[in-house]
Amino acid sequence: MLTEQSAYTNRWRWVSPTAKGIFTCSGLVAACAATSPRASLLVITLLMATAIFGAGIPITHYLRVGAPAMLFLGASCLSLLVTLNFGSGGSPLTLQSNPDELSRIVHICGRSCACLAALLLLTLTTPLSDIISLLRRCRVPDTLLDLMTLCYRTLFVLSAAIHETLTAQSARLGHSTVTQSLRSLGGLVANLTIQVWQRSQALHIAALARNNDGALRFLEYPFARSARHITLASGAGITLILLAVLIP
Amino acid sequence: MSDAIIRLENVSYRYPDGTAALTDCSLTINRNKRTAVLGANGAGKTTMFLHLNGILQPSSGRLFRDDIPFEYSRTGLRKLRSKVGMVFQNPDSQLFSASVQEDVSFGPMNLGLDTTTIRRRVAEALGAVAMAGLADKPVHNLSYGQKKRVCIAGVLAMEPEVIILDEPMAGLDAAMQEELTAVLERLHAGGITIVIATHDLDFAYGWADQALVMQSGGLLAHGTPEDILLRPEVGNALGTIPQIAEIIHSLSLLGIDLRGNGYLPRTRNELVAAIAAVTTREDTP
Repeated sequence: MLTEQSAYTNRWRWVSPTAKGIFTCSGLVAACAATSPRASLLVITLLMATAIFGAGIPITHYLRVGAPAMLFLGASCLSLLVTLNFGSGGSPLTLQSNPDELSRIVHICGRSCACLAALLLLTLTTPLSDIISLLRRCRVPDTLLDLMTLCYRTLFVLSAAIHETLTAQSARLGHSTVTQSLRSLGGLVANLTIQVWQRSQALHIAALARNNDGALRFLEYPFARSARHITLASGAGITLILLAVLIP
Repeated sequence: MSDAIIRLENVSYRYPDGTAALTDCSLTINRNKRTAVLGANGAGKTTMFLHLNGILQPSSGRLFRDDIPFEYSRTGLRKLRSKVGMVFQNPDSQLFSASVQEDVSFGPMNLGLDTTTIRRRVAEALGAVAMAGLADKPVHNLSYGQKKRVCIAGVLAMEPEVIILDEPMAGLDAAMQEELTAVLERLHAGGITIVIATHDLDFAYGWADQALVMQSGGLLAHGTPEDILLRPEVGNALGTIPQIAEIIHSLSLLGIDLRGNGYLPRTRNELVAAIAAVTTREDTP
């Protein structure tokens, strides 16, 4: 919901998604092209600053949305520090102490964080419906986009259904003990499975009723000053890539 | 052109599980009229509605639009669905896109219209349901009543001749019901034929020009609400009669005739005005 809230309320809501897409792609290229951890850090800082000061995303929102991804990233990087060592005697787990390897791990971690910052910039400033329109213009297959559209919409409908079912279960002491919680959870899953099936049927009928016989297509927003935004984003993107490459 | 915009002739339909939902059902929906379809749960209202839009095809019998039989080819269905719009009971089952404006554009996009026409139609449809100010909002942030209005706008944007609404008042509070009734009034004034399935007898009694009462997959009675909703067999099928009719009947037993110029009150406001008029008459020396 935080992502959603930011995407609809940020300062760049009406900036062309193409421009934001270009800048995000540039961010991803810069992240991959960064030649050192220092360059990665610079890319991360610039992308974060753009989101927080440029688009006006509250820093707490930014950190809370990024936290789960950072958690996974942190766990992955920590696992790189550990070497499995069977058969040569001693402890089977050894901590990495080679300075070259350590520097490589920090570099990978930096690049991954920079990629995350680039993607956060897009998702926190652009509603998913705009991203889907952008992907459609990029010729991403319709089936994939239809799935994205339906999953996104259904996410909110099902989250409401889950909330209602949980409340109803709790009202009848369905979560008073661990055993009952497990049983209620099973009931919730079974109920949701049927609901998903019924809702998919209902959506299919509703689509037919509105003359749909193919891809789900919607009107795209006309973004004002689109060319200017694209030029600015392209310029900023190129600068970002150059900085990532040139910083030693 | 005949008065009948849609006609069902001996239509029967059986679901794949064997349930007979419509049995030899014949009925007529008149042009530019407000039609209320009444009936207990399982009477066949929703199944009948799904036939009107070509979602279901009858097992036997025929349907006509403007006295021409329904054509179930791809082109025929396309034409039918652009003229007969359907608003389902649960808005969450028919809103596809996350954004209001995008969802309303879904039907016109499917009709293959050009972008300028779609933009115009979307703006007009949202204006008609008083949702223009929320065009850019995400659908999941809307209230239940607002979602219903977006659903109506989604159908309106296809510029249909007939709009079918399956229990549009279900789940709405009194204020939202009033707003929705005002929207329906505007649409009807604009020349659209409106068909509503409802369990709200008082609403049907006050709002409809024509009432169709269904029972066990067939038509039990049809006519003006004041003619048919007071019949004993209709009262038995629906389990009640409109409260206003009941009050008028009780008062008539006390010798108070609320008929003013031969017209019986059908809404609460009309009833209050009629009682006030009778009281004033009696107070005048």
